[in-house]
Order: sequence, then structure tokens, then C-alpha cells
Amino acid sequence: MQKVLNREIKELITAYPEVGRVLEEYGIGCAPCSVGSCLLKDVVGIHNLDPQKEATLMYRIEKAIYPDRKISEPVVDMTKKAAPKLITYSPPVKKLVDEHVLIKRLLALIPSIAEFTESSLKVDKNLILGCVDFIRTYADKYHHMKEEDILFKYVDEKAEIIQVMYKDHDIGRGYVRQAVEGAEKNNKTQVKENLLAYRDLLTQHIKKEDEILYPWIDRQLSTTQVGEMFRKCNEADASVGDELPKKYERFIVGLEEKFLQEVTK
Amino acid sequence: MSGCPGSKTIDFSEKTNQEGSETGKRPSQLRQWPIQLHLVSPMAPYFQGKDILLAADCTAFAFGEFHKDYLKGKSIAIACPKLDSDQEVYVEKIKALIDDAKINTLSVMIMQVPCCFGLAQIAKDGAEKASRKIPVKQIVVGLEGNILSEEWI
Repeated sequence: MQKVLNREIKELITAYPEVGRVLEEYGIGCAPCSVGSCLLKDVVGIHNLDPQKEATLMYRIEKAIYPDRKISEPVVDMTKKAAPKLITYSPPVKKLVDEHVLIKRLLALIPSIAEFTESSLKVDKNLILGCVDFIRTYADKYHHMKEEDILFKYVDEKAEIIQVMYKDHDIGRGYVRQAVEGAEKNNKTQVKENLLAYRDLLTQHIKKEDEILYPWIDRQLSTTQVGEMFRKCNEADASVGDELPKKYERFIVGLEEKFLQEVTK
Repeated sequence: MSGCPGSKTIDFSEKTNQEGSETGKRPSQLRQWPIQLHLVSPMAPYFQGKDILLAADCTAFAFGEFHKDYLKGKSIAIACPKLDSDQEVYVEKIKALIDDAKINTLSVMIMQVPCCFGLAQIAKDGAEKASRKIPVKQIVVGLEGNILSEEWI
């Protein structure tokens, strides 16, 4: 089993699809991951399951890989119901979680924007470039840069989970470039497909961060590091000024009003 | 069950020394003097830019690993929100620690008795009055010396 623990998750799921299904049952959504190079032991460790749950998960994975092997089932005390885990964040990490909310509001609007683009005579370039400006300035410069320049520096940046996050950021930037190119060429399909791909990517990416990555990083931070990170994030915010987040919140409110009207027309 | 939980008589002498090892010497992690909140100056060098532990008087006696787990690496101020007088001075001192001494973080350690939450309130009031913002953590110690909760507030 030790060898299995050190195998890459994607390779393992490809060889034993049942492993993917078992992980899914435990809320570990590695199957659709764009990279999948995390080791099984890291994947299990990072999710911080309670010991009983982790023992059962490992038993089921081992059974899925070696169905004929005699493996003793872990003793699980079913009378002890695990308390639902409430995720709490340190103040600087909480700020990053809060910034996700505005990004998720744009993601929620993307299907309507894609549909609007499809049904319009030509691409509404101002609309698409406005969304791109939000993504590049608010999501990427204001938010992702704090992750890349501050948060990720507190953990091993070579860790697979961090590499996956960097890769997601890069893939997202690629979709945005493609959407801009589509808008410039008045190619409705190119705009629509890339915005929808961006939405799918970022939805999963934010979920991974809120539920897995950020709590994992928070568990490793000392009190001193929390204070230091809080100060660095505040300095980064101050360097762009108070107006920037307000401006992009107004932009999202405007989009929500526009597309709510489109829906109710 | 009536009366103030903070001064109610409880004897748990039978439960003491139930776990842990007494081998080895534990050095003190205290790196300053004075420590009482009325006596300390926010401008003292040992507060500048540091992580501060604001501990209710009883916590160090209740929690066996106080020095190793919570005092180590921090500067400290102690106070009792039930018995100390002139507590408005405390609010101003917390504000000065944040704004003038530019402390990194503030961890408030209190006992689980209701009156002790007054110290957490003092810390919150001081932090709200300060123009700088810093992370503030609350640690609650049970009467039998266990950590009941530890969370950023």
C-alpha cells in the first residue's frame, strides 16, 4: 500500500477508475483535475478527514486496487457521529475567501453573457472587454497576485497542489486571451466557448481553494505568519487603493442589473 | 448551580496529574518585566512589532503548557477583567499597542467563566478604536486546564 500512496492520483484513477469514484464519495474531487500529479498520500492528507473516515477511505481504496487481497476492515465506531466541520479562516485568508464572492458573481453571469453573445448580431465588444478587464484587473492582478506573491510563499511552492493552482491561473489567462481574440475578430463562438471554459475552470478552482487549499495553508501558519501575511495583504491592497474593489463591485452590480433585465424581458 | 461561575467552588484535585510527563526542566519563556497591563508601557521595546499575548490572570495557572505553547516567542500583558479597576485605561493601552507599538498580532487568552470574556471585549474595543488593523485571536481555557477553543475573531 505504501507504493500506492506514493503514486500520482491521475495515473491511479486511470488504472483503477473505482478509486476516483471512492474519492468522489468522500468529497475529494480529483477525477476531473486538470493536472492530477498530486500523490495519493498528499491528496488524503490535505483533506484533513477525521481519523475514522480516513481509515475507511484507505481501506476502500486498497480494496479497489487489490480486490482479491485479504484486508481487514478498520473498526469504525458508528455510535460516534463526526461533527460537521466548520471551516474557519485566519483574517488574511478570510479576506481572500471574501474576494472570491465577487468573482463568483461574474462566473454566475457568464452563461447569460454567452447566450447574449450567441443571440446578438455581432459580439458586444465593450461588454466582453469589460468582463476581461474585471478578470485581468480584479481577479488576476488584485486577487491572484496576492495568492501568488504572498500566500503561496508560506508553503512549499513546489507542492503539487500549489502547482495545480498556478496551472489553473495560467490556463484561465489563456481562455481570457482567446476570448479577447474572439471579440476582436467578431467570432461569437470563440468568445462564448472561452468564457464558458473560464467559468468551469474558475468555479472548480475557487471551490478547491475555499474548501481544501486555504484551510490546509491556514493549518500550517504560525500566529506570527498570520500577522505578517495580514500586513502584506493590506499593503498590497493599499498599493492599488480603496477605489479599485469598489469600481469592480459597481461593474458587477451593473452587469447583474443588465442581465436580470434581459432575463425578465 | 446558582451564583457567579467565576467564583464558584469546584474541587478537581482527584483529576490532577492524570497525563503527561514531569521529566526535564521547562525554562521560563518570559522575556520582559513588568507584565501587568496597568504597569506596562505600550512603548516598551519588547512590544514593538511583536506578537502579544493578553492573558487573563488565571490562565497561566490553569493551563499547564502555558509557557511552551502560548508564551514562547510572544510578549505578554496580564489582566483580570473581574477585579481590576480603571479598565478604560486597558482599552487605550490596547489601542496604543496596535497603533504606536505596531504589534503584529494580539492573542487574548481567557478562562471559560463568563466574566473573563470581558477581557476579550476589552481587546476588541481597543482593536476597533485603533486605526491600524491586526489579527486578533481568542483562546478559551477550561477550568481544568484544557484548551476549549482557539479562533481568530
